[in-house]
Amino acid sequence: MDPELRRRFDEIRRRGPIQRTLLDEFFDVKYDRREFIRRATIFGLSASAIGGVLAMAGCGPSSTTTTGPKQGGRLRLGIIPPPVHTIEPHTFAEQGALETGSVCGEFLIRATANLKLVPELATSWTPNADASTWTVKLRSGVKFQNGQAMTADDVIATFKRLVSPDTGSQALSAFKGVLKPTGVTKTDDLTVTFNLDNANASFPYLLSSTTYQAIILPANYQVVTSGPTSFTTTPQCTGAFKLVSYTPGVGAKYDRYTGWWGGQAPLDGVDATYYTDAAAADAALLGGTLDLLGQIQLGTDRALFNNPAVQVFSAHGATHRQVPMRVDLNNPFKDAKVRQAVALTLDRPAIVNTLFTSFADIGNDTPWAPVYPSTVGAPDVPQRKQDITMAKQLMSTAGYANGFAITLTTEQTGEIPQLAQIIQSAVKAINIDMKLDIQTATAYFDGTQIGPPSGWGNTPWLNAPINITDWGHRSVPNVFLTSALSTGAVWNAAHYSNPDFDAAAKSFVAAISLTDQQKYAKIAENILLADTPVIFPYFYNYLAAGAKNVKGYDADPLGTVYLSKTSLG
Amino acid sequence: MARFLLRRFALALVTLFILSVLIFTASQLLPGDIGRNVLGPFASTHDVQMLDQQLGVDRPLYVQYIDWVWKFVRGNLGTSLEYQVPVATLLGPSLINSLKLAAVAFALVVPLSIVGGVYAALRRGRLPDRVITLTGLSLTAVPEFISAIVLILIFGVLLKWLPVTAAFPVDADFFTQVYHLLLPGMALVFVLFGYIARMARTGTIDALESDYTRTAYLKGLPTPTVIRRHVLRNSLLPTIAVIATQMGYLIGGLVVIEKLFNYNGIGQRIYTAAQNKDFTMLQSGVLVVGLVYLTATLIADILYSLLNPRIRYAGVE
Repeated sequence: MDPELRRRFDEIRRRGPIQRTLLDEFFDVKYDRREFIRRATIFGLSASAIGGVLAMAGCGPSSTTTTGPKQGGRLRLGIIPPPVHTIEPHTFAEQGALETGSVCGEFLIRATANLKLVPELATSWTPNADASTWTVKLRSGVKFQNGQAMTADDVIATFKRLVSPDTGSQALSAFKGVLKPTGVTKTDDLTVTFNLDNANASFPYLLSSTTYQAIILPANYQVVTSGPTSFTTTPQCTGAFKLVSYTPGVGAKYDRYTGWWGGQAPLDGVDATYYTDAAAADAALLGGTLDLLGQIQLGTDRALFNNPAVQVFSAHGATHRQVPMRVDLNNPFKDAKVRQAVALTLDRPAIVNTLFTSFADIGNDTPWAPVYPSTVGAPDVPQRKQDITMAKQLMSTAGYANGFAITLTTEQTGEIPQLAQIIQSAVKAINIDMKLDIQTATAYFDGTQIGPPSGWGNTPWLNAPINITDWGHRSVPNVFLTSALSTGAVWNAAHYSNPDFDAAAKSFVAAISLTDQQKYAKIAENILLADTPVIFPYFYNYLAAGAKNVKGYDADPLGTVYLSKTSLG
Repeated sequence: MARFLLRRFALALVTLFILSVLIFTASQLLPGDIGRNVLGPFASTHDVQMLDQQLGVDRPLYVQYIDWVWKFVRGNLGTSLEYQVPVATLLGPSLINSLKLAAVAFALVVPLSIVGGVYAALRRGRLPDRVITLTGLSLTAVPEFISAIVLILIFGVLLKWLPVTAAFPVDADFFTQVYHLLLPGMALVFVLFGYIARMARTGTIDALESDYTRTAYLKGLPTPTVIRRHVLRNSLLPTIAVIATQMGYLIGGLVVIEKLFNYNGIGQRIYTAAQNKDFTMLQSGVLVVGLVYLTATLIADILYSLLNPRIRYAGVE
């Protein structure tokens, strides 16, 4: 090995145990080049260090030739559905609002489609030995659209707002047990230190666009509680476009921000229009009134698939539906055998084929989607397949050979009603008489989520005996573990509680090496298969669609719309 | 005539009052606490009660009703619970948009269906009559979401002659606006043509068979004069009434058309408000539509009375 390379290699190894593990695992061929890059970016290795390591391993840098994108033009973006409530980044909870905010807002780190972290407003992020403290260096020369320079104070104010319990922050659940307001401290003008409550090897994902509420805003940003938000009246993000007008329920206009740290965006601007109806949005794209649709669904936008005039942007992700079964009610679901039996009635490949053709992965009743490198899956964790004989056996062992009647409650969202009907007809095979209560999304999520009577308030989605809920993509499965499956978790709709699982999930979140992560994932996956508190039937791809002349756009599984490098032709 | 109009006006006020009571009670029946809806599921019960108090929704219903109506009369439509901005700033542009679409639809459908109806009546029982009557009937029978999609596919997607979205650019001039509204206007022609043409046809036939028309012919007037002076004047009376009643549908009832053409009209605003439990927007929106509807029928009554001497002179008695 070249002595210079060896020197740099040792220098990286000496930085700490995390870096050492990373390099050693890579050279033991535990993961391939792509996975090494992904993991190296989590731990904040610089691009030159990554390149050096890859050169040592004999995988040269992949070079891509790019011809300059076409300059100019305004991109016409369709957003469906329109944002409900106000546009206030830390309260973002739905698609329309986050798409609207993400055209102009930027994050410390951007999570890209292959789960790789790319520096945005941060240039590096480094953990201490056990990943309980992370030091983030900020990009210098970044100017907000109101002219102020971005410093550590702005980043600190943004994150304090995100983790404070009294701001209405929708990122609170993601940061719960990870970061408190006091944990965000300033080291110098361009360095922020995050002192975590617990070790968390995946913390950079929480700093990234994965937490889509974490748009960096000035320290003196005004949260307005009534009237138009200051986000929509004064451009003050850092992105390539500034929001110049916003009309609730109608649309938004963005102009190029000439002071962007990244140079000049190819597009002159973006005109976003809100759609409430998929057919209208599809017709607009086909008729040439729109250039890009931020999100499309197989169920409602069939006209756009296999259409030569349209390009479909697809991103593998972990977007999924959960079918939680209450483990604490006095009904047959109390028995894990019954829950297993229900899960065994589903013919997953057929369901995926019916609902998503090729745009989804099959689930295994755990939140570990195939897209995650930490997922163990088959053969070490068996893949659950349809097995009616076994299901019947389990039902009769549990004392329900003749079945029972139950109501499945769910929401009118995407393909969920179809999934509900599929489950309804599948469980007939084990004599379960299932009724469907399909509500509007508003009614389904209505009510309280904390406190009496159940501890999870009275909202249908956390309290129905069996239900189906839509879940978004995350770059790591941690939120699903800490918020949906751990004992007492805020969104634990099954009211599931198993100390063994809690311990495995906690160790998984803290595990630094991929080997350790997989070790705990395997334990947790097997526990979930045995207990089956929640059925995870599939994980589907995030899909967007555009006209043929849209260049330099990638769908983001989280739903953000990043147009800073997009051009028209 | 003044008395006739005054009576009409008073009647309109009573109707408005009943309408306001109905909307108010109906929106009270929608499930869900307003404060809880605004603050979201994680808010504490205390905060919810605080907000309810702030919004005044914890007061007795009759107090809330009087407060709402009193503010509405003075032009204060309240603050949208969903978007936290004054309702008027959202409803205003939507209402104007709806009026524009209605105007385009009117400009298309009224002459077309009256001419069609009268022509069919004059050619009664012959081929043109059959074609017009049958086409009108078939178009009316097709739901607007089907005819609108067919129109979009043909003129917007395949031929690319007309824009598929009715939402014209903010700074569009008059002709651009009309150009954007042609396609939804055509969809509305499909809905309304059959009905209005049928009314015009029946009215014309009645008039043609009447004694005064025969007298007019007998005294040697040429056919065009008979039609213009004697037939149309009488035959169009019921048609005007029918057109006026369609105003309520055209303003506020076009949820499907507005959705399909992504048009920011008042129908869609009210529909979204109902979905998102935006009570202030819902109540004020429905009342505004009611107001427009009653104004339209009032205007129709005036027109009716101008054309119909029996009403014009009834007040003098």
